[in-house]
Amino acid sequence: MSELIPIILDVSSYILILVLVALGLMIVFGMMGVINMAHGELFMIGAYVMVAAQNLGLPFLAGIILAPIIVGFLGLLIEAALIRHIYLRPLDTILATWGLSIALKQLVVLTFGPESHSVALPVDGSLELGAFSYPLYRLILMAASILLIGGTFWLFTRTDFGLLARAVIARPNTAASLGIDTRRMYRWSFVIGTALAGLAGALVAPIISVDPQMGLGYLVPGFLSILVGGAGPLAGVLVGGAVVGGVNNLLAVWISPVAALITVYIIAILIIRLKPEGIMGGRRAK
Amino acid sequence: MLEIENLAAGYGEALVLRDFSCRIAPGKVTALMGRNGMGKTTLMKTIMGLIRVKSGRIMFDGTAIEKLPTHHISRIGMGYVPQGREIFADFTVAENLRLSLLGHEGGNVLPIEQIYDWFPILKERAEQRAGTFSGGQQQILAIARALIGGPKMLLLDEPTEGIQPSIVHDIGAQLSRIARETGLSILIVEQNVDMVRTLADEVLFMENGAIQERCDIETLRQDDSLLHRYLSV
Repeated sequence: MSELIPIILDVSSYILILVLVALGLMIVFGMMGVINMAHGELFMIGAYVMVAAQNLGLPFLAGIILAPIIVGFLGLLIEAALIRHIYLRPLDTILATWGLSIALKQLVVLTFGPESHSVALPVDGSLELGAFSYPLYRLILMAASILLIGGTFWLFTRTDFGLLARAVIARPNTAASLGIDTRRMYRWSFVIGTALAGLAGALVAPIISVDPQMGLGYLVPGFLSILVGGAGPLAGVLVGGAVVGGVNNLLAVWISPVAALITVYIIAILIIRLKPEGIMGGRRAK
Repeated sequence: MLEIENLAAGYGEALVLRDFSCRIAPGKVTALMGRNGMGKTTLMKTIMGLIRVKSGRIMFDGTAIEKLPTHHISRIGMGYVPQGREIFADFTVAENLRLSLLGHEGGNVLPIEQIYDWFPILKERAEQRAGTFSGGQQQILAIARALIGGPKMLLLDEPTEGIQPSIVHDIGAQLSRIARETGLSILIVEQNVDMVRTLADEVLFMENGAIQERCDIETLRQDDSLLHRYLSV
């Protein structure tokens, strides 16, 4: 049993980070029809903000605060320069943001070099309970992720901003004819989505190796989570993230990473074949 | 109030409205009648900025609105009740109304009590999901949602479509009362002759993307040959 608990915790923390990444993706896709291929790079830049903060001798917490601000601001620039012109044209958004992802990756290579970096753990200790021992930072990471996921759900289901956002998703034209500035809603939702990616990257930086290619490893399972869970209700991301992240991580430990990936894709294909809208349903018919 | 000059608009390359002109007087209820496919809904959507204007001019209360974004047109006082009502089915009644309040924040919004006074059913069922409403109740909600922004003019696109006759009459009478009390101008697209007779002061007949005839409601009451010609009823 004591061997099982760390595995379950590992899987859970991976799922939570995956859900954080996928949440940002889904806000942007569900709301604006923008498939943001650069989302993984925004996540990566969040991690590099931690590297830069560490190099500058800033405290860990400063990096955690700076990452979503810097990446969110980058999101604002990307929205104004690029995304604004291609709303609701999914195919164009794939091309444009894919190009953007290459550019961002190269920018990071030029600035930080192609090699991988590591970020020191802010807390070294482990939680010891009898025979069970688990790194403290991973527990903090899980708690922070749960808070963030909960906060995002709260923002989109309990606040006026969320009411407006959900109205714009469901019926953009009707929302506009009620005086709601849909473009402004798109812009701030995009910024929230990118800031979330940046924060997720910053949080996860101390437990992974930070390199320019790290984005893809979260983008692909992030997209799979949305496909499997359904892009409609926010809860779809939770279910999708749990299925994709859970299967991937458990099988990677028990069998092999390759077998895990093959299984994840087979399950994803089966679910998409049997329930094209995803487990929790897709965007509602207009 | 609303002056449209030489308007051309449509979908993609296909123009539905060509050289369309008309004037809608303030403080009156004007009904726009015509067979399906004559461009009535296109006209409504074009006024609201939901369809791009190819050429021509739309003046609303002294402002040229043909290039403004939809939310801006709404905020300067154009209320819109679209065809098919388009209420937010998953939201509660109160949330549907709140959306319009948020959209018109800082503007000339009506107090919610005023809305509840006009339509008591919305108060009784404020916390009910709007999707559980009947067609007529949804229509009332859609109208209330447009009114709460304090519009100077209300565009109503086929409000009686798919609604039982008893409620049609109630809605007509209530709208008539609101228009009289508040001086609200209404432009209503309608096929239902009873509704037009209850509500309208003036009737425009539209065919092939242009106004062919206009008459006041008294003329229509005495002589329904226009109805035969333009609606084949």
